[in-house]
Amino acid sequence: MAKLVKTEAVVEGRTEERWTLVEEDATPEWADGAVTGPVGRPATRLTAAARLSGAARYTSDVRLPGQLETLVLRSPHANARLVSLQLDAARAVPGVRCAIGPDDAPSFDGQPILTDRPTFAGAAVAAVAADSSAAAAAGLAALSPEWEPLGFVTDMERALERQDFLEPPSEDERGDVEAGLKAAATVIECEYLAPAQLHNSMEPHCAVADWRPDGLTMWSSTQAIYQARSQLSTVFEIDPDRVRVICEYMGGGFGSKFGCGPEGILAAELSRRCRRPVRLVFSRRDENLAAGFRTPARLSMTIGADRDGALVAIEASAVMGMGSGGWGYPILEPIKSLYACPNLHTMLLPVRQNLGPAAAFRAPGVMEGTWAFEQALDELALELQIDPLELRRRNHTATDPSDGRPYTSKRLLESYTKAAELAGWASRDELRGDGRIRRGMGCASQYWWGGGGPPAYADVRIGASAKPVLTVGLQDLGTGAITACAVVAAERLGVAVSDITVRAGDTDLAGHGPFSGGSMTLASIAPAVRAAAHHVRTQLLDLASDMFEIAASDLELVDGEVRSADGTLRRPIHDVTEKLDNAWVTGSGSRAPNPQGLAVNTFGCQIAQVAVDTLTGLVTVERIVAVHDVGRIVNPMGARSQVIGGILQGIGFALTEERVVDPTTGTVLNPGFEDYKVPTIADLPDVVCEFVGEPDPKLALGVKGLGEPPIIPTPGSIGNAIAHALGLRLREAPYTPRRVLEALEQR
Amino acid sequence: MPPVANLLIGFADMRISLNVNDQTHALDVEDHESLADVLRTHLELTGTKVACGEGTCGSCTVLVDGTAVLSCLTLAVACDQAAVRTVESGGPLLERLQRAFTDDDAFQCGFCTPGQLMSAVALLERTPNPDHAEIVRAMSGNLCRCGAYEGIGLAVARAAREVE
Repeated sequence: MAKLVKTEAVVEGRTEERWTLVEEDATPEWADGAVTGPVGRPATRLTAAARLSGAARYTSDVRLPGQLETLVLRSPHANARLVSLQLDAARAVPGVRCAIGPDDAPSFDGQPILTDRPTFAGAAVAAVAADSSAAAAAGLAALSPEWEPLGFVTDMERALERQDFLEPPSEDERGDVEAGLKAAATVIECEYLAPAQLHNSMEPHCAVADWRPDGLTMWSSTQAIYQARSQLSTVFEIDPDRVRVICEYMGGGFGSKFGCGPEGILAAELSRRCRRPVRLVFSRRDENLAAGFRTPARLSMTIGADRDGALVAIEASAVMGMGSGGWGYPILEPIKSLYACPNLHTMLLPVRQNLGPAAAFRAPGVMEGTWAFEQALDELALELQIDPLELRRRNHTATDPSDGRPYTSKRLLESYTKAAELAGWASRDELRGDGRIRRGMGCASQYWWGGGGPPAYADVRIGASAKPVLTVGLQDLGTGAITACAVVAAERLGVAVSDITVRAGDTDLAGHGPFSGGSMTLASIAPAVRAAAHHVRTQLLDLASDMFEIAASDLELVDGEVRSADGTLRRPIHDVTEKLDNAWVTGSGSRAPNPQGLAVNTFGCQIAQVAVDTLTGLVTVERIVAVHDVGRIVNPMGARSQVIGGILQGIGFALTEERVVDPTTGTVLNPGFEDYKVPTIADLPDVVCEFVGEPDPKLALGVKGLGEPPIIPTPGSIGNAIAHALGLRLREAPYTPRRVLEALEQR
Repeated sequence: MPPVANLLIGFADMRISLNVNDQTHALDVEDHESLADVLRTHLELTGTKVACGEGTCGSCTVLVDGTAVLSCLTLAVACDQAAVRTVESGGPLLERLQRAFTDDDAFQCGFCTPGQLMSAVALLERTPNPDHAEIVRAMSGNLCRCGAYEGIGLAVARAAREVE
């Protein structure tokens, strides 16, 4: 029976309250720690055949009859007024079907999609749809815009001086910081500078819109098909059930691709005007000017501790360079929540700049906040002559320090012990050496959310072939969530994971599914999948009971067979399902809320080992030991890949990735892979990956999220390892050879 | 129409012969069109992906007469009479690599994967038993933002090892 319940969910640090439709769930829970069927065993990806053969259709591959290509005119100036634009000249170009400018497109998120007052280099001003890319390029050239350039501010510190905030500064306080710092035996002060990291998903932002009299269909490279559907429905005032959003395969997002994006709105508007399908694909340059970035930040911390290293007071502030959008990401969260500290005061200052809008990027705020705070803790450890891991142990908290709630589970202490063992932490000083190459080892802790929650729904059906079809309202970024869902369904249905077909990425197919972000996807959807599969299992056992005249309670589905408890009956499931002919047995399931009053978090510890060439300044990450507590591991193969992927993006942040803005023109100087260095196969360290999280006893299926956790401690552990190797601290990332050599010279 | 727009339209069409995955095509292409565009648009072989369009990421890697090239930087007219192989080509080596990429979880989102596979084909055709350093050197021009590099390295080595 369905009912409506009110629930709370934490999405990347923001608490949301919502009503959600929940069905009764009679699925028995997995016994604690029991590995059941395929759950917890390595499974290769179900998407392998499509993705490896070139058959997988990504949004940028969609080609409909009569489809037009779109190019967008973007401002070359960081701040300007558009003086004139030759839209008619563009329209006269052969092959051009439509050219629209500043007054011609709807607003989105309160911002005009096309503007005559661009406030960053890369802001969209006009768009041309044409029969071919070449005709669109000719149309774009015919626009001949004239600009009046205006003054601009791209520098974060200047924006702060001008008190130009994107969101009002916000404060948080507990206890009495002033008194706490006075009473502290040791006080350290430090300041860290984090760079702007660019997402650079391999598939650029793109959309194909097909506007028809009976509704809108959009192929979108999105992390959230349902959010895209609501946005399109709102902006164009169409009934949501007449908007269909499809994302069959997707080439990465990392937080930059929520909803339909401005590209979706633009494509839909052009399709509406031209009455033809329209494709809009961002260039790599568009990606890096206008599609988001991890916010650069300056973090200042004053940390007081007693003689034994117990934190007594922290005063911290963070200036975040938001550009022209995004929200105040939880950069101070690690300082507030990672350790017990009775007295705390924090201030967040999100400044506006003449740059593109910020976007969430894998553990937004928390990764860079952890990077700074975990190094500050090492500075404190050095000051107090306490082993860094020991200092963290001494500040461990068994309850959420902000509000005293207990955790559903927390195995952070275990992860320290395990990581130390695996890394050889005890003998880390022996690594160092005194020659040209110095080695060091550093640690960092990880804190994130990831409990998931409703709403999430799933449908399962099984027909004559005995090969179940699972339908979920998910989109497959490449995280492995689709395969993990199949693993969960396979356990209930007693079939091989590879026998399951998963249909996803289409709002017309299934009930509402979660977006792919916040490390919430699997924790949200898996219980719904299991409930749906359980429903089908129950019916199959009833059918088998009728056929074999054995009570359903004495039957089970295992390894593709119906078996009786006494072992006398072993028949292929197919013997039962073949009787269905063309009918199906179907079941649906939904996600129930998490228990209230408990904090749901993931934890972990990484230890990095680096080698620093003191002659060239080159830092090489030799090894990362990653131990995370993320609840039950559904597919260890996919989990390890997620961990390595997060670590590599963390290495990029720490060593090579940095958006460079020209202070004289306000434009991004490195919007391509030539100058913006993402890690390559040559940068892969040796990765040791372990999980200490047993199934979380308080959560459905014990599953928590894994997308974000592995990137969080990587840069901080690298910074601490460099400090250990060199005996000096670099407080500005990335740690390029130039910065390393400058630090060595200044010593 | 402003003169600059005139420069961008009315390109010369050229007739070329292209053998793609063992099928010969007579194609009328404009002289500015890249091999990637011709594969993806004229021939609707969308397995070849364009992630940067400026020769910096390796996603669009295909083989032209056995050599790995960046198809986004290669003019189609320069490939007249050439034999092109893409991820759709099949064949024992590519299939071995596809199996190895599956078994070693050598991809996540899969967008860079066709390019990874074709770079690996080129490597193993020229060096059937590469050592680790040779694999890293040959594959380092193929970026993977998901970070599937460990699997990629293992899969290429496995495919080399598992010659039938």
